[in-house]
Amino acid sequence: MKKVLTLWLATITLLALPAAALADASLDSTTLLRFSQDARSDLGTRTYVPLTEFLGFDADKLGDGKLSAHLYGWGRLDLAERYLTPGQAESSMDGRLTYGYLQYRFNAANAQARAGRFFVHEGIVNEQVDGASARTDLPYGLGLSAFGGATVHTSFIPGQRSDGKGDGIAGGRFNYRYGGLLELGLSGVFESKAPALNDPTLAGRFGGHRLIGADLWLSPHRMVQITGRTSYNTETEGVAEQSYRLQLKPLRDLTLSGEYNAYHDRDMFYSSALFATLLNGNNLNQQSRSLGGSAGYQLNEKLETSADYKHYSRDLGKADRYGAELRYNLPDGALRAGLGYHYLRSSPEFAIIPSDSASGSFHELRCFAMRDTKSYVASLDLIDYLFRRAVEGKRSALELSGSLGYHLTPSLAFSGDLSYGSNPQYSDEVKGLLRLTYTTKIAGKGDTK
Amino acid sequence: MRRPPQTLTFLVLAGALFALAACAQLKALPNLPASHPEELATGPVSCSECHEDGQKGTMKPFAAFNHSRAFIANHRFYATADDVLCASCHKVSFCADCHTNQTEIKPSVKNGNRPDRAMPHRGDFLTLHKIEGKLDPASCYRCHGRANNERCVACHR
Repeated sequence: MKKVLTLWLATITLLALPAAALADASLDSTTLLRFSQDARSDLGTRTYVPLTEFLGFDADKLGDGKLSAHLYGWGRLDLAERYLTPGQAESSMDGRLTYGYLQYRFNAANAQARAGRFFVHEGIVNEQVDGASARTDLPYGLGLSAFGGATVHTSFIPGQRSDGKGDGIAGGRFNYRYGGLLELGLSGVFESKAPALNDPTLAGRFGGHRLIGADLWLSPHRMVQITGRTSYNTETEGVAEQSYRLQLKPLRDLTLSGEYNAYHDRDMFYSSALFATLLNGNNLNQQSRSLGGSAGYQLNEKLETSADYKHYSRDLGKADRYGAELRYNLPDGALRAGLGYHYLRSSPEFAIIPSDSASGSFHELRCFAMRDTKSYVASLDLIDYLFRRAVEGKRSALELSGSLGYHLTPSLAFSGDLSYGSNPQYSDEVKGLLRLTYTTKIAGKGDTK
Repeated sequence: MRRPPQTLTFLVLAGALFALAACAQLKALPNLPASHPEELATGPVSCSECHEDGQKGTMKPFAAFNHSRAFIANHRFYATADDVLCASCHKVSFCADCHTNQTEIKPSVKNGNRPDRAMPHRGDFLTLHKIEGKLDPASCYRCHGRANNERCVACHR
């Protein structure tokens, strides 16, 4: 199946090239060659040399000018030992179609229709679908969108012959907008019956994916924005998620925000075979809440600073995370740099192996710098996690990465990354990567990145 | 066979008339541009640098979409209501740099030459996820609950 899909992706792209010549088209390609060697006393030495291609293709103004085609996927060829993908047949090739659809834009009302494989992001709905969708604005500030089709299945859960998803899915969103002040959306998703899983402990913990919910955008004053959403699981008959955010902009360069999030494990994770399995034995009736705030200030055209705080509260324990960042950007993007510090102070229950003497607290330090000119791009990135109590005998997890690349043409670039790490998983971790990227812009399109 | 009640018939007819009237007015509603009319600068943009008024298609002020650090961190609230506006400037493949399916490469590795971009799981997240997963499992669920979990199931059996 994977071979067929990979070949199909390549064939479709090749077939699309003549059409692209006639249309307003662009191609995005990232080719990665990685090399890694994993040496462990109990498993021996394994060498991996995967060659991965990410390919995106967009063709606008097809047919009468309102039709467009969009395609994106990836394929991998293992040049040495193969990566083990659980639940998949042995093969040195792998690949997936992320999306591939035709879109028709109507002349008015932001009306459009899609057919193929695509992502749906509507209110509380986030899905990947093989099917069709349509949306339009309506008079009086109303709007409507709907989608339906087959679910896109992913990896099987170990021990099961299923990924836990039903085969059919449908949903949509209805919204009302009042100019500059309010948007209120009602959305829902209905997936066909979830497959029966071969695990008696999942009874009452796992079932169909059926949610309804509401989302809000409210701006009673130009300095104030409130955004949020609430979702309700109709299968468990409980509120799954509440997430609300208040943003204040008292000065042009100052942004203040506060957020509140609440989740109920069973209602939130009910349709995930992985999470229902993962949390097996744990208390699925846990409530999780977080409350936080941040402040961001643009010091001048080049310097931006921010500070944030978040308090986590679960039945399991409590934690606080706080920190600050400083960013420097030249207006033309030729130099970008950043410096950040965060600390997570958590109760021992969040430690990797909880005990009275354990700790889940750690400091996070990060600094990076990047130089991007017409001829070359170079970057350095350092990230270090300093654990309050040693993890596997290590007090820190360090990673230093460097990248150097050359713009062969404005569209074509060749770059290489090298990173060194020392962490609880590996005493030394050296990784290398070669990257060839080709990016074209759609004529008249703004920035692609 | 029982006849539908008169109230229901009236409601269906009223609904159909309303739908017809609405459809007749659709042509007067504006379309967002398929592409931003001018090429934008590299990096995060501030719409309000050039636009002072409200955005007609979304009926929200342009300033609401300024790409501040706070906006980037909370872009899900905007993308789930105004993805047509996002598409004016971003190709869909821009989203797919992170929001993809079934690839074993972390976004921060694929885009290792772009440390300036907000990417999840930088550094030794293999160790960190054992803490972060207990702290806020819902944040894991959003991406890995029903997709992108082949690396999770390699260990979580």
